[in-house]
Amino acid sequence: MKNNMKEEEGTGAAVFESPVAGGAAAVMAGGKPPKRKNRYYTFLGKTYKKDDTIVGLCFILPALILGCIFVITPIVISLAYSFTDAYLLRLDEVQAVGFDQFVKVFKDGFLWNAFGNTMVFVVITMPVQLCVALGLALILNTKIKANTFFRWAFFVPVMLSLAVTSFLWGNLFEHDGLINAILIKLGIGEQPFLDDPGQAMGIIIFISIWQGAGYQMLIFLSGLKNIQPEIYEAASLDGANSVQRFFYITIPSIMPTFSFVLVTMLIGAFRLITQPMIMTQGGPEDGTMTMSYYIYQQGITFRDVGYSSAIAMVYTIFMSAIALTLRKVTEVKD
Amino acid sequence: MSQAQVQAAAFAPPKKNKKPWTAARIALSIVKWVGLTLLCVLFLFPIWWMIVSSFKPQTLIYEQLDSFMTFLPSTWNVLEWFTSYGNLFNSFDYFGTAILNSILYCGITVFGVLLINSFAGYALARLRFPGSNVITTIVILLIIVPVETSIVPQYVILSHLGLLSSPVARVAGYLLPSLVSAFYIFMFRQYFLGMPKELEEAAEIDGAGKFKTYFVIMVPLAKAIFATVAIFTFMGAWNEYVFADLMFPQAQQKPLQAFLQLVNTYNPKDLSMVMAALTVSTIPIAIVYIFCQRYIVEGVSFSGLK
Repeated sequence: MKNNMKEEEGTGAAVFESPVAGGAAAVMAGGKPPKRKNRYYTFLGKTYKKDDTIVGLCFILPALILGCIFVITPIVISLAYSFTDAYLLRLDEVQAVGFDQFVKVFKDGFLWNAFGNTMVFVVITMPVQLCVALGLALILNTKIKANTFFRWAFFVPVMLSLAVTSFLWGNLFEHDGLINAILIKLGIGEQPFLDDPGQAMGIIIFISIWQGAGYQMLIFLSGLKNIQPEIYEAASLDGANSVQRFFYITIPSIMPTFSFVLVTMLIGAFRLITQPMIMTQGGPEDGTMTMSYYIYQQGITFRDVGYSSAIAMVYTIFMSAIALTLRKVTEVKD
Repeated sequence: MSQAQVQAAAFAPPKKNKKPWTAARIALSIVKWVGLTLLCVLFLFPIWWMIVSSFKPQTLIYEQLDSFMTFLPSTWNVLEWFTSYGNLFNSFDYFGTAILNSILYCGITVFGVLLINSFAGYALARLRFPGSNVITTIVILLIIVPVETSIVPQYVILSHLGLLSSPVARVAGYLLPSLVSAFYIFMFRQYFLGMPKELEEAAEIDGAGKFKTYFVIMVPLAKAIFATVAIFTFMGAWNEYVFADLMFPQAQQKPLQAFLQLVNTYNPKDLSMVMAALTVSTIPIAIVYIFCQRYIVEGVSFSGLK
């Protein structure tokens, strides 16, 4: 056994010619324990392995560089620009304006309109989509042939990108499109749909749920699958009825999944931009202007980077507060 | 519960089906199936209509709009179905280019994301070095805190770096920001943390260097997570619209999703061609979903459980 190991070490050192580890292995094969001093060093009171540091830094470096440039720096400059009058075409002459941009944020009527629209979207989409997804998952959880078909059917819209969904439904809701043709046939009459400020947001809510519900259904189904059937059996033997089983077994079991879905959906809903950008360009009468789209428009279209950054900062604080609260509220205590 | 009872429970058929068929249960069952079918129609008819309409000329689409014929192909000569698809390539010089662009951008993104984020995830999971804990904390913070600062400051940085100055630079400017993701780093880290350390230690005793250990031992064992991240990255990159729309004003550089805008707003509009373009841009995603369903479900449940 011992001989065997030594042989392996020998071949290992011969095959792998990595300078650092190969050398160490060669020393080990020679039977001499390596000196601890050389392989370890201390930094700020903590001891690290030299090998680990060199390799670790090499491994993390690409992500670190890209992350610093494209993740950290945007946050930092966004924060910095929010106190200035930065303009996209002359970023070399930027003047500090203190809290002026933030004051403007709270006085801007168009922004409050965009905020209101986003909240309407969030408040309607979230519960409806969650109910549809969870309901479908619960109904389709048993393994019979028809359920497999239905699972696929409800999942098909998820395969469409947000852009495709928006273009497709945009055409369906044209004034001479399919939906109006059906409505006329049914005797309901033509609707203005995307030309009407009230209906346009309703349509965006509808198509978002239509596109997204299947995905959450899949997440819930995978959560439900993890519940051991024995638990239900045991509960049944103890005399629990189906309602009790649902509230005392199903709901607690999928709570972690539910919490995750809730927070991801919420952040996604707060960031609604693609659908209004493609279908309505924020109109009619700013009826579908959302926060993300407004930030984009201020920064890119109107080139007011300073103001756009200030809105983004305030909105980030708002979103984080809600997301973290939700996370805390729905957190499962082990 | 004894062992025998557990086994009996596991192998016993579901008890639900043994209940008698009362009128209430029959009614409930009918409501359930009718409801499911209606909902199913609602979920599927737009996509069905999209595909069928791409198979017939625009004049026929409008003619048949108020009859049930709108949901059926106008001809059973299958070759004629693809007229609009051919027109798409004839009317738009860069439609083929857009498909190639999408493939190119997605390929680079998937490759880069896998390499960079798995490296970082491994480093954070297994290698201790000064700053590793700080970086882990930042990664987790970035996942928890929804920062709404993406596009505008990123655009500013890209202009500072000169990545908006030429068409080639714009491609780099489009691709580079998407290569690093706190979420994927975290996913890789969690996966590597869950793998047994003994394998690497054995490899190290055999004299393999850390790089070799990573590529020869860890990557093959972590195939599942690589596949999952690759699929999710591919779908994200393929479906990306807003940033592509901003970065590529020129038609010959647009990826497929952004190119759809040109097809949809082209004057005179050809609805059949629009539907054909939408169908074409969905096919790759559909293929990925159909063939990689296992990984998608795994990835979903993995991210769901964190």
